[in-house]
Amino acid sequence: MKTATPFKRLVLTALTLLVAASLLLAACAPAGGDTTTPEDTTGGEAPATDPTEDTAAVPAGPAGKLRVAFQPIVATDPGLISSDSEVFVANHVYDYLVDIDAQSNPTPRLATGWTVSDDGLTYVFTLAEGVTFHDGSAFSAADVVYTFNRLRDVNGGLPTASLYANIAAIEATGDLEVTFTLSAPNPFFLYDLSDNHALVIKDGTADPTDFNGTGPFKVVSYTPEDRIVLEANPAYFQAGKPGLAGLEVIFFADDQAMVDALRGGQVDLVMRMSTSLFESLIGEAGITTLDIPTNGFDLVRLRADRAPGNDPRVVEALKLATDREAIWQLVQQGYGAVGNDSPVGPLYGPYHDPSVQPPARDVERARALLAEYAAETGGDPTLNLVLHVPDSGGRPDLAAVLQQQWAEAGIVVELSVEPESVYYADGENGWLGVDLGITGWGSRPYPQFYFTQMLASNGEWNEAHWSDAEVDALIATAGSTLDEAERAAAYQQLQAILAERGPVIIPYYFAQFGAISDAFTGFEMKAFAGRTDVSGVTLATP
Amino acid sequence: MWPRVSSFLRRLFADFPSALGTTIMLVFLLLAVFGPLLAPYPYDLPIYEHPRQAPDATHWFGTDHLARDVFSRVLVGARSVLLLAGGGTLVAVALGTLVGLVSGYAGGWLDELLMRFFDSLLALPALLLALLLLGTLRATYGEDVSAVGKGLGVFLVLAVVYTPIVARVVRSVVLAVKTRSYVEAARLQGESLGWILFREILPAALPALAVEAALRFSYAIFLTSSLGYLGVGVQPPNPDWGLMVNEGRRNVSQVPWAMWFPAAAISVVVVGANLMAEGLKRALREE
Repeated sequence: MKTATPFKRLVLTALTLLVAASLLLAACAPAGGDTTTPEDTTGGEAPATDPTEDTAAVPAGPAGKLRVAFQPIVATDPGLISSDSEVFVANHVYDYLVDIDAQSNPTPRLATGWTVSDDGLTYVFTLAEGVTFHDGSAFSAADVVYTFNRLRDVNGGLPTASLYANIAAIEATGDLEVTFTLSAPNPFFLYDLSDNHALVIKDGTADPTDFNGTGPFKVVSYTPEDRIVLEANPAYFQAGKPGLAGLEVIFFADDQAMVDALRGGQVDLVMRMSTSLFESLIGEAGITTLDIPTNGFDLVRLRADRAPGNDPRVVEALKLATDREAIWQLVQQGYGAVGNDSPVGPLYGPYHDPSVQPPARDVERARALLAEYAAETGGDPTLNLVLHVPDSGGRPDLAAVLQQQWAEAGIVVELSVEPESVYYADGENGWLGVDLGITGWGSRPYPQFYFTQMLASNGEWNEAHWSDAEVDALIATAGSTLDEAERAAAYQQLQAILAERGPVIIPYYFAQFGAISDAFTGFEMKAFAGRTDVSGVTLATP
Repeated sequence: MWPRVSSFLRRLFADFPSALGTTIMLVFLLLAVFGPLLAPYPYDLPIYEHPRQAPDATHWFGTDHLARDVFSRVLVGARSVLLLAGGGTLVAVALGTLVGLVSGYAGGWLDELLMRFFDSLLALPALLLALLLLGTLRATYGEDVSAVGKGLGVFLVLAVVYTPIVARVVRSVVLAVKTRSYVEAARLQGESLGWILFREILPAALPALAVEAALRFSYAIFLTSSLGYLGVGVQPPNPDWGLMVNEGRRNVSQVPWAMWFPAAAISVVVVGANLMAEGLKRALREE
């Protein structure tokens, strides 16, 4: 008995280890076992594919159904949506007045065309004919007026109120014509009209979560935290759209599960995943991978309104100690683009000035600057700061690499990797209060947003607490002039200032990843995944 | 003294499982002391030329997603595991033994008071208690998280969470032993309280205590890892094994080896601790 006990224990522990090891292996192996699609309910006839072939991509009936993996949605009122998945669902149930194409240009949707007065204050939109809501009622100018009056109502509690504060009046100047009058010129007004929330709902809608849109798909059923099932809107006003009989958005908690489902054939499309998962999908049979550059970036910023960030030598030293190219290669694995410390990425075409570069890495000079700073002000030449970073995306990795690069210049930072709820909390220990932090900024179709919100003295999210009169003046110019050349010049000057003395480091711009089953064709992804429109997608082999 | 030690060691190595466990723990101890000297690369510096390298002759355990040598990280991480999990356990065992001895021997209202207080601590799940404590520490020290980030917080948490458990085990042995005739005899002889507690009663509790300590140590490794996983424990780039598993998990599809090796290291040490505990119990009983 006495000798049996330890032996039994050994056997038990060995068994436990074996089970753990096999679980681990199972988790790592590509999920190739189950490739059937029990959820498939679209077609009456089974698709004529050989079941012994690769069945990761099963055509789903005559016109097919696209199953998209996304994070669960919470808000369904178009005025309140914010996440990728919420915008994605709404974008297929409703229509925008003006849309943004994959090249970030305003493009017609419910408005077939528009004219702008010379003073830039009056916009007249002509609306599409023959549009109906999913409940069968006809669409007219009154619906547009109702929608935008709701979105700009300062007492309505919607996040768009400030965005549309510049609108003086919205009038239906015809059954299919709407006129917007502005109180001041706004060169980005068409972009504002295509804001994520600006989906047209019916005049007098009592319940804005009723899914009564004009969009290419109608909602069949919505099971919170499970899936939302949509079917083609046969009365859709754009000829040839939608190209599929059905669309199903299936909710997943994390990107690993989404990618596994794609491999197993339970979903057909995944957008937004980690670089490492994306890399693992490349070359997989039956799956097409896409990566497109975006304007999104991670912002490393130092509070500029108090020591040590209020000393320009400290800001310059941090910039000099950073090797952006190496960070980009390591953290983004070469996807996206190297940053130049400005939010105007290469995607902004004429606004982006590729010749503007932050000073090249010079560890010795950084060290000398900090020694000078310490000698003059009595500050700490190692800075000895805490780098706060939310535990999401590649941000903890960025923090770890920065810590090493800066250490070579004698700069000491401790990392504090925090859940997003802690990082984005209010107060002195939250993202708007701490000295040194890393914040992720999503992709926007035009750069003005970043400047007014993040870098202007009075910006709502001026997390660096930066106040620079020259910068403020340039931001105001870029945001009000109707002269494109003048705006481009202002943005280019802003880039030069940011690279030289802005208390910010933008080491890279993200890429947007996507992977879709080869059974589909006509897919075009957008920089903001939620605005990706799949109404043009069709089955590859109809 | 020496003959006693050598006969104890002979008993410890007498059967295979406990010999194996003890060997694992000895190797682990050596690694914790000399690991940083043995590591072929710095544990925290990227080797830019070899990112995401599979295990090979130059990088035995490969390199992780940030191009750091996993073998070096595992070696250096042994010290972190020993200092945090081992140190925390040691403090908990010392405190718990003291409180358990006093509480069990004194009895009466003191025993009642201490045990009810520990019951209230035990009513909370260990992880929840740990999160509460770390949250409070962070709120108190605010910006100055460096000490907490380096593991002081985790160390304190382990001590607080495991002291009651150890104390209860020791107390139960004390209750059984304190009415024995040899304890009575020592008392009648006029021995000091310290002598009675530590020379007469404690040896009887040692077998149970050894097992408990080893068990606590393995749980402490798990708890440290869980806290690292939840982002409230030690901070990167600390090569804590639990933290490495968490980082590796996020990149498992690309650099699975960055998770395998620290995970295997945790398993081996936990198994080793358990096997050695079993051996210790037997060896101490036979004494």
